[in-house]
Amino acid sequence: MNTETLIAVNIGLPIVSALASLLLGDRRERAGVVYVTVAVLVASSLLLYGAGGLELNPGDVFGTAVVALDFALLIYFMYQGYVNRSWQVLALSLAQLIPAAYFEFIVEGAHVEKILVVDGLSILLTLIINIVGSMVVIYALSYMDEHEHHLYLERSRQSRFFFYMLLLLAAMNGLVYSNSLYWVYFFWEVTTLCCYELIRHDGTEEAQRNALLALWMGLIGGVAFVAAMFVGYSAVNSIALTELMAAPLSQGLLLVFALAALAAFTKSAQFPFHSWLMGAMVAPTPVSALLHSSTMVNAGVYMLLRIAPAIQDTALSYVVAFMGAVTFTVTSVLAIRQRVSKRILAFSTIGNLGLITLCVGVNTGLSYSAALTLLTFHSVAKGLLFMGAGVVENKIGSKDVEDWEGLLGRLPLTTAVMIAGMASMFLPPFGMLLGKWVAVDAVASTPLLYGLPLVFLVVLGSGATTFYYAKWLGYLTVLPNGAKRTPERLETPYRVALYTLLGVDVLVSVGAALLLSNMVNPITAASYTLQMSTPMGGVDLGFTSFPVLPLWAAGAAVLLTGSWLAKSKGGAVATPYLGGENVADREVTFMTTADSEVAANVSGLFLASSIDEKWLDRLAVYLGTAIIVALFVAEVV
Amino acid sequence: MTLMQKARLKSLWVLHFDCGSCNGCDIEVLAALTPKFDVERFGIVNIGDPKQADVLVVTGPANRRNQRVLRNLYEQMPEPKLVIAVGTCACTGGVFHNCPNIIGGVDKVVPVDVYVPGCAARPEQIIDGVVLAIKKLAGEAPEEDEG
Amino acid sequence: MDYPETLISATLALATPLIGGLLMGVDRKLTARMQERVGPPLVQPFYDAIKLWGKAPMIASGLQPVLAFGYLGFALVAAGLVTFRQDLLLVFFVTGIADICLTVAAFNAKSPYSFLGGRREFLAMLSYEPVMLLAYVAIFLVTGSFTIRGIYEYGAPLLLVLPAALVTLMIVLVIEMKKSPFDVSGSGHAHQELVRGVFTEFSGYTMALVELGHWTKLATTLMILSLFWVPNPVIGAAISLAMFFAALMVDNLYPRLTWQRMLRTTWTVGFALILVNVAALAAGGVI
Repeated sequence: MNTETLIAVNIGLPIVSALASLLLGDRRERAGVVYVTVAVLVASSLLLYGAGGLELNPGDVFGTAVVALDFALLIYFMYQGYVNRSWQVLALSLAQLIPAAYFEFIVEGAHVEKILVVDGLSILLTLIINIVGSMVVIYALSYMDEHEHHLYLERSRQSRFFFYMLLLLAAMNGLVYSNSLYWVYFFWEVTTLCCYELIRHDGTEEAQRNALLALWMGLIGGVAFVAAMFVGYSAVNSIALTELMAAPLSQGLLLVFALAALAAFTKSAQFPFHSWLMGAMVAPTPVSALLHSSTMVNAGVYMLLRIAPAIQDTALSYVVAFMGAVTFTVTSVLAIRQRVSKRILAFSTIGNLGLITLCVGVNTGLSYSAALTLLTFHSVAKGLLFMGAGVVENKIGSKDVEDWEGLLGRLPLTTAVMIAGMASMFLPPFGMLLGKWVAVDAVASTPLLYGLPLVFLVVLGSGATTFYYAKWLGYLTVLPNGAKRTPERLETPYRVALYTLLGVDVLVSVGAALLLSNMVNPITAASYTLQMSTPMGGVDLGFTSFPVLPLWAAGAAVLLTGSWLAKSKGGAVATPYLGGENVADREVTFMTTADSEVAANVSGLFLASSIDEKWLDRLAVYLGTAIIVALFVAEVV
Repeated sequence: MTLMQKARLKSLWVLHFDCGSCNGCDIEVLAALTPKFDVERFGIVNIGDPKQADVLVVTGPANRRNQRVLRNLYEQMPEPKLVIAVGTCACTGGVFHNCPNIIGGVDKVVPVDVYVPGCAARPEQIIDGVVLAIKKLAGEAPEEDEG
Repeated sequence: MDYPETLISATLALATPLIGGLLMGVDRKLTARMQERVGPPLVQPFYDAIKLWGKAPMIASGLQPVLAFGYLGFALVAAGLVTFRQDLLLVFFVTGIADICLTVAAFNAKSPYSFLGGRREFLAMLSYEPVMLLAYVAIFLVTGSFTIRGIYEYGAPLLLVLPAALVTLMIVLVIEMKKSPFDVSGSGHAHQELVRGVFTEFSGYTMALVELGHWTKLATTLMILSLFWVPNPVIGAAISLAMFFAALMVDNLYPRLTWQRMLRTTWTVGFALILVNVAALAAGGVI
C-alpha cells in the first residue's frame, strides 16, 4: 500500500461516504456505510503508519477544485450570515472572500509545488483522528436514534448529521496533510462549516445562536489565515509551510506565525474565544465528542505544533505559552463550578488544550514531546468521556451532574467506563498523567523568569483538575444500601465505541514507552534535541524517570489484592451511621425529631460562594484579548 | 492469651450514648477522660462512631422514644461488643422507673454486660466498671477470632 | 542493580506502616504529656489495629474494602518510590491515588458524615497539592533533578538553601496528619461536628487498613522531610522529628479552623514563602 493511495483514501473516502449517507434514506444502509468507512479508515491509518512520509502535488485539477469550493463555502457563509442577521458572520466572510480572490487571481500566489506533505506529525494526527473519530461515528449510530426518539422527530434528520460528521473526518485528514497554506485554510474552513452545521443540527433557536457564535469566532481564524497568506507571500514568495518554516525568521514571518497562532486559538477555544465551545454543548453529544474534544479542536494545537519549531526562543512563543497557561488554570477553576456534565468536560477540554498550548509555547524538545503525548491521550480519554456522558444523559434523561449520584448502581457498565476514563485523565500510571509529568518537567526546566509564572499557573490548574474530577468520580459511586438494580441496556454501538476506546486508552498508556519511542520522539527529533529515552518500557529524561511498567504492575497488584481481600473477608453490608435514627434497611432514611421519615440527601460540592463564575469569565475575555494584542506586539519588540 | 485477645484488652473504643439522662452521669463519664483520671492510658478512647466502637456506655433510662435509637446504635456496632450501663437510671430506671414514658433500665432494650450504679456514678466507679468489662472480655477466652 | 541496596529499600518501604504506627504512638504519648496526662503505651496504635482486624466485618458496600486496601496499597507504592529514591512528583501523584481511594470510599457510603468528611478531604487536597508541587519544583531548581537521588547527589543540605520548602511541607504535614488547625476532614477530636468524618463508615478490617495507610503516609512524609539534611542522616531524621513535634505543638495550641481559612493560609503562606526563597536564591546566583 503506498502512501499516495492511503492519503487519497483518508481524504476521499469520507467525502464519498458523507455523500452516500446524505442520499441514503434507510438507517441500516447508512449504518453499513458508516461501518465500512470506519473499518477502512482505521486500516488505512495503521497502514499509513507503516508506509512512511511523502511529498506530492496531486495535480492542478484538485487545486482548482479547492479554490472553487472555498469560494462557494465563503458565499454560503455570507448567505447564512445574511439570513440569520449576523453582521459578524457577514463581515468576516467578506473579509476573507475579497482578499482571497485578490490573492488567487491577481497575485496568483496560491500555487505551491508540494501541496501535500505527510510526515510524522501528520501520521500521528491521522491515527488520532481516524481511530477516535471512527469510534465516535459508530457511537453516533445508537445515540442519534435515541436522541431523535427523545425529540419525537417524525422524519429522521440523520442523513444530514452523518454527512457533516463524515465530512469533518475528511477535512481533518486533509488538513494534516496540507503543506500549502491555502489548502490548510480551505480544510480549516470546511471544519468550521461542519462545526456550524452540526451545532445547529437540532434546529432550536438556542442551537442556531450558538452555531453562529462558533461560526464567527471560527471565521476570525479564516481571516487570520488569509492575512497570513498575504504576509507570507510577500516575505518569502511562497505560501508553502515547509518554505515558510525554513526561511530565516524576519518580522514578516513572525507576523505570519502570529496570525496562524491566532487562528489556532480560535479553533482550540483558548481565551478569549472559549465561549463558542461552551455554547457548542447544546449540540448532540457525538458532536461534542468528535468536534469539541478529540478531533476538530486538535486542529488548533496541530497548527501550533506545526509552526513551533520555527518560532523557538521568540517572544511570540512565550506569549503562546502564557496564553495556554492562563487558559489551563482559569478553566480548571471554572470547571469546579459546573453542574452540567458536558460543561465540566468542555472546560476540561479547553483547559487541557491550554496545557498543550503551554507546552508548545515553551518550545523545547522536552515540552514538544509533552505536547504530543498530552494531545494523544487527551483525545482518546476525552472522546471516551463525552461518549459516556452522552449515554448517561440518554439513559437517565438528565444533564445535571447532581442526578448522577449513585450511577454505579444504576448503570454499572457505563459508569465503570466513565470512572476508568476519568481516572485516566488525572491519575498515574495513565498516559495523560505521564504527559502532565513531562510537561511539569519541561516547564520547570525553562529559564527562571519565564518559567516560574508558568509553573505557578500549572500547579494551580493541576490541583483544581484533581479536585473536580475526583469529586465527580466519588459522586458516581454513592451507593444507597440495597439499591435495586435494574439491568442496564447498553446497545451494541455504544459497547463497541466505549470498550474499544477504553481499551485503546489503557493499552496505549501501558505501552506509552512504545508510543514515545516510535512516534513522539521521532517527530520531536526532527526539529529539536531529544531529551527523552524509553528504557525498559519506562520514560527517562536524564534528570528523572517514570517507571511506567512497574507502576502498572504495582497498581494492578494493589487492585487485585484488594479485591481478593474484599472477597475473602467480605462482611455484612451495614446501614450508614445516621445518629441511630436509621429507619429501614433498604433506603437510607431517618426519623426526624418530628417523627417523620426523611431520605438522607447528599449533594455535590461546587464552591459557589468561593468561585465567582461571572467574574472569572470576564477576566478570561479581558486577559485573553490582552494576550492576543501581546501576540502581535511581540513581533515589533 | 493470644495476640488478638491482648489487643482487645488493651484497646477499648467507647461509644457514649445518653439515653435521656439528666447529664449527671455523662459529666462523670467525660470526667473519666480528663487528665485527672485519664482512661486513655488503658487505650480507651471516646470514639463517636458505633461502627468503630467496642463498648457502648449508656446513661439514662430507656424510654419509648429512644429505644429505637439505642437498639439501632447497638446493632451498628460490630462484634465483639459490650454494654456498660452507667448510673442508676440506666440500670433500673432509677427515680424515673414508674414514669409514663419510661420503659425501665437499658437492659430492657439491649443486653447489658456491666452495671455501674450511682446517682451520679463517680468516675472511679465508672473506671471500675470498665475494668470489669475488660476482665469479662479477657474471660471470654473461647471467643472466636475473625481472619 | 545493587542487591543489598535494593533489599534495604524494599524492607524500609514495607516497614513504613510500622514506623508510622510507632510515630502515632509517640504522638499520643507526647500529646498526653502536654496535657499533663500519662497517655497510652507507645505501641497502642498496633493494639488498636489488631483489635480492629478482629472485629466482625461490616462494610458499606462491596467496593469499600477494595478502596480501603487501595489506600494502604498505593501509600506503600509511594513509600517504595521514596525508599528507592525515585521522582518526587511521582511520589506526589501516587499518594494522590491513595487519597482518592480513601475519599471515594467515603463517598461510597451514602452517609452525610462520611460525605462531609470526603468533601472536606478534597478541599484539604486542593489546599496542599499546589504548594507541595511548587516546593518540589523549588527543589528541582536547586538540585537540577526531581528525584531523591538528585537531592543526594546535590550534596549540600537543602535546609540551608530552601527553608521555605521545609516550612511549606510542614504545613502540608499538619493537614495530612489531620491536626488542628487544619483537621477539618476527620480528626480524632471533631466528633461533635463530623463524627469520624471521612472515616465514619469504615469499621473493623477496613478501618484497620485505613489506619495502616495513614501511618504509611505519615512515615513517607517524614522521610521526605528528612531529605532536608542528606549529608548526615541523623540530623535529617532529627529535622523530620522536629517538624513532627512542631506539628503536635501546633495541634495542642490551636483550635480547628474553617476549610476556607485552611485553603487561604496554605496558599498564601506557601506560595509567598517559596517565591521569596526562590527569588533570593536567584538573586544570590544559586539557581
